[in-house]
Amino acid sequence: MTATKLGGPEVQARPAVEEKPDKKGTMIKIPLLGITTAIAIWAAFPLVDNEAWIGLAVLIATTAGLLYLYLTPRHIPLKYLAPGTILLILFQVFPVLYTASTAFTNFGDGHRGSKQEAVTAIQTASVTQVPGSQQYALTVATTGDPATGPLVFLITDPVTRQVEAGDADGLKQIEAAVNSAGRVTAADGFTVLTVGQASVRSAEITALAVPTAGGAIRSSGLSRAYEGRAGRAYDEGCDCIRDTTTGRTWTADETVGAFVDGNGERLAQGWKVGVGFSNFTRVLSEPAIAGPFLRTLVWNLAFAIASTGGTFVLGLLLAMALHSPRVRGRTAYRVLLVLPYAMPSFAMLLVWRDMFNTDFGLINNLLGLDVDWFGGSASARLAVILVQLWLGYPYMFLVATGALQAIPRELAEASRIDGASAWGGFRRITLPLLMVALTPLLISSFAFNFNNFNAIYLTTEGAPFPADNPANGATDLLITYTYRIAFGGGGAQYGFAAAISIFIFLIVAVVSAASFRRTRHLEEVHA
Amino acid sequence: MRIRPAGVAAALICALALAGCGGSDDKSSPTDNPSANAGGKQGELVIWADDKRSAALKPFADKFGAENGVTVKVQAISKDQQTTFVTASQQGSGPDVMVGAHDWIGNLVQNGAIDPVQLAAEQTSGLNPNALKAVTFNGQTYGVPYAMENLALIRNTDLAPEAPKTIEALVADAKRLKDAKKVTETLCLQVGQNGDAYHLYPLYSSAGGYLFGTGANGDYDPKDLGVGKPESVAAFKKIATLGEKGSGALKRSITPENSIATFTGKKCAFLVSGPWAITDVKKAKLPYDISPVPGFAGGQPARPFLGVQSFYVASKGKNKALAQEFVTNYVTTPELAVALYEAEPRPPALTAAFDQVKGSDADLEKFVEAGKDGQPLPAVPEMAAIWDPFGKAEASVVGGADPAKTITAAGKTISAAIK
Amino acid sequence: MSWLKQVGWRHLVGVLMLVFALAPIVFVVSAAFNPLGTLSSSEIVPTGASAANFTRLFADTEFGHWFLNSIVIAGLSSAASVFISALAAYAFSRRRFRGRRVGLLSVLLIQMFPQFLAIVAIFLIFSTVTDYWPALGFNTWWGLILLYLGGALGVNTWLMKGFFDTVPRELDESATMDGASHPQVFFRILLPLVAPILAVTALLAFIGTINEFLIANVFLTDAGAKTLPVGLVGMVAGERNANFGMFCAGTLLTAIPTVLVFQLLQRYITDGLTAGAVKG
Repeated sequence: MTATKLGGPEVQARPAVEEKPDKKGTMIKIPLLGITTAIAIWAAFPLVDNEAWIGLAVLIATTAGLLYLYLTPRHIPLKYLAPGTILLILFQVFPVLYTASTAFTNFGDGHRGSKQEAVTAIQTASVTQVPGSQQYALTVATTGDPATGPLVFLITDPVTRQVEAGDADGLKQIEAAVNSAGRVTAADGFTVLTVGQASVRSAEITALAVPTAGGAIRSSGLSRAYEGRAGRAYDEGCDCIRDTTTGRTWTADETVGAFVDGNGERLAQGWKVGVGFSNFTRVLSEPAIAGPFLRTLVWNLAFAIASTGGTFVLGLLLAMALHSPRVRGRTAYRVLLVLPYAMPSFAMLLVWRDMFNTDFGLINNLLGLDVDWFGGSASARLAVILVQLWLGYPYMFLVATGALQAIPRELAEASRIDGASAWGGFRRITLPLLMVALTPLLISSFAFNFNNFNAIYLTTEGAPFPADNPANGATDLLITYTYRIAFGGGGAQYGFAAAISIFIFLIVAVVSAASFRRTRHLEEVHA
Repeated sequence: MRIRPAGVAAALICALALAGCGGSDDKSSPTDNPSANAGGKQGELVIWADDKRSAALKPFADKFGAENGVTVKVQAISKDQQTTFVTASQQGSGPDVMVGAHDWIGNLVQNGAIDPVQLAAEQTSGLNPNALKAVTFNGQTYGVPYAMENLALIRNTDLAPEAPKTIEALVADAKRLKDAKKVTETLCLQVGQNGDAYHLYPLYSSAGGYLFGTGANGDYDPKDLGVGKPESVAAFKKIATLGEKGSGALKRSITPENSIATFTGKKCAFLVSGPWAITDVKKAKLPYDISPVPGFAGGQPARPFLGVQSFYVASKGKNKALAQEFVTNYVTTPELAVALYEAEPRPPALTAAFDQVKGSDADLEKFVEAGKDGQPLPAVPEMAAIWDPFGKAEASVVGGADPAKTITAAGKTISAAIK
Repeated sequence: MSWLKQVGWRHLVGVLMLVFALAPIVFVVSAAFNPLGTLSSSEIVPTGASAANFTRLFADTEFGHWFLNSIVIAGLSSAASVFISALAAYAFSRRRFRGRRVGLLSVLLIQMFPQFLAIVAIFLIFSTVTDYWPALGFNTWWGLILLYLGGALGVNTWLMKGFFDTVPRELDESATMDGASHPQVFFRILLPLVAPILAVTALLAFIGTINEFLIANVFLTDAGAKTLPVGLVGMVAGERNANFGMFCAGTLLTAIPTVLVFQLLQRYITDGLTAGAVKG
């Protein structure tokens, strides 16, 4: 990208004096800041058009802040951190905070929108054709300009072919020419809208209801109309939904976000309300979660450690093995060994799942085994770790290769001359240096594997499950377990899932932070 | 002043980040993207479907657009269509028309994501009554069905010339073939590691089990959960006799991925699958025939689930009038139904279209015949709670676990999720 | 004997790992060339050899578009992401400021939140963005690249920070003594020294992006705008195993850009550290 090109010439230029790059730096910097400003102005127009003043204020503040930051000689670390941080805040911090905030609500299927939306949905869903009424051929017309004039429904009686014009005030008979389908082709005083013209005014057409004695004429698309009646209506007085035929009422209950009748029965369409800490207490109190929690946590930790440690050892061993100019065909080795990482992992997880099939799987057939891999706890756990090793070692291999290359060869050679054995040299010189580079990575890899949803979800799906508990399987991680509870039954429960995620997050955070504390000394090797 | 190329480069990145690489200002043509403030002069209709159907829909959508002077965009959602649709709708970036299975309806309705459609009497009478029943929820019609599907028994007529009347007869036939080393598997009915409630249901219902009872009006009643009841225990005891410790007709190693392929590879003579399997069977050039899924001897008829693919009008679409026009007045024409049939051979729900294609495709009537005793897949949102525990109970029992204990535990898990 | 001790074991390890690494891939290759295109077989040798799956892939789907989209999106976003990460890693490694370690831990932990929950928030953000700035909205390259760059300050920053730490600090201290400013230290001393790790990070970022599915799936809905994983999953999702052969063919082709990028970067990874730079 442009930015890296920018880095290029700077690196190659080797000026001895300082003024030259100074000038050059300014020459690059000023236009860039200019472009930043120009883009900010470009981005501002839609905000002004839509009167999104808060958005505009944020944009101006951010731009001004950036200009200040890169023009002042102070705040050096921030200059390096700002680009990544801005993106991080927009696309990571905000989603996480938003998600975390839903943990305090009942957000989920049936409770996604506002109360107003729920009321609209209930009323719309209750509109039925008036019994005994008929459907009409509909022509959408206007008495004025096609784009802005008042809308009129011209409806044709299918039997008499009599045309009536209807608007919000009601129906009146008119004379009009109709085609064989009964649709109006021309009528005095009205302009017939084409489908294209009508579709632009879709919202108005959907909203138009022509009052009649039995209900109202509404459109069903752009060529048919029916006489419909809303079976349920919202009554502001009692804050309830009333069935217009039976008189049954459902009263709004703001604590659960639903309309509830006297018997406690709810209407399906609810809305999102705050529920305080109840999602969190549910995590702690629900036996389905609290019961197998400890067992799952232990396996989860074991899985993360085995995946991270296993791939690291394997990757490092391989990198060491190929880190010698005497090994011929190193390039070919490396390309082939990186292949597992180059293949799309979701596809390979599915392939691995099939390879573990008891009767048809490649592994049993090739090795002449008859192991029910995903049927037993131990073998299923072994299998998923094996898959993780396959998927993950190239990552560690690449990183370790890079790390070995970055270690000045003089150091390793120096240890040889001192008479240390190859292994001793590795242990005393190479490994400590490698650990400086790789420890942060191991921590991040651990944190990733701790929550490695796909590794389980696309292979065992948590299997095997004990016969008496279909909710928690032997290879379930906390995250797959959460997913099943929050999305398995009764639709998606985002609020609840967010609450469980916060608990898991805290566990990962504590483990990672603790190991991170222990790395402090590693940073200071060269200091 | 000190030089700060790093800072400058960083500013550039910011600039790029903020602007999507600068040059994009002039690329922001409204035709590429729906824009709220650039309504444009033309109406636009956005349709979401899965990949296969969106490809089949495209020519018809374009035709509809050209005839009516509107832009029609068909977009494919590759995975998790239902969730993506609900979430996108809620945030206002959903489509105007959605294509999907009828068992979504309960969940879509509780989220206010779809509107009922008002069909004229002559339109409803042109549809298969079962298909129409499937898209009816709480007394309202929520979508326009275009294709139906249900399980049937597909057999290799070279190996098994006669259709078995009962599952016991099937097992006996297969045993003979196995003894003669002609096949290695008794029955290709996918179970998988975690079970498959959809494919098990014909046998479960034949053995007397049920999922939800039905109310007075014929709708499913989520309060009457059949899983965990004595009937279900009895049914699972019968199913256990077919399991790995029994006759071996049901095996966890037969998975969704390999069941059809095992059949086309002539490793089993019987396959329980739907119309989607026929394409592969034909490709393998097997002589085959289709008959109803056999039930247990002396049991109830095996009732496969009836599934219906349907078009929905999105509640929060930007162009609802046009969406209604498309769904109620255009989808109900036979041409579109035939084209969708050609993309994937499932029986069309529109009687006129069905009649048009049944002459050239004898399989269609056989599938419909196999679905004669079928039950519409429950569309109630509570059904979501059934699939997973029920499937796992099946897998456990097939693997040899105690049926009573297993299905009772599944029933408890399901009723806890439904509450 | 000494050859065995010094070189032989290296080949032994390499060959053993190759078997482990390639067995599943051979399976995919076999399925891709099998005209019946099924996933039943335990056969590792193709039962039939035909390129039908590959030709159908290009004829029946918009595979070419997916390929282009993937390469552009993965290429641009990994390049930008490496640069952003390097900037941040420099600050975290070389500068001492308040909140440094907390910041470092935060950028890691923030990414530990499950993505399937963040989808809702992403819709929330990009529905607004699509309304205001359609050029950055759903179904655009730039929108998705931006979204991916939100994660630039994450694992890769950690990776690079670790490597920056291994470069002796005396090097930049002496340069600073000589009058070099911090950008000069960064661009001229540090970056060339960590070239191998820049290459590794670029490769990892490229692979991570080109294989990303969850977000791309909801972000890209136009058939022509999709990336490879989204398109490939769409082929098999809901289709039972009908397209498995095409799926395998697509999977193999998906690996090609990654292998090419690896080839391209290999010389930096393996010969990256020039002795001259250290001496200088």
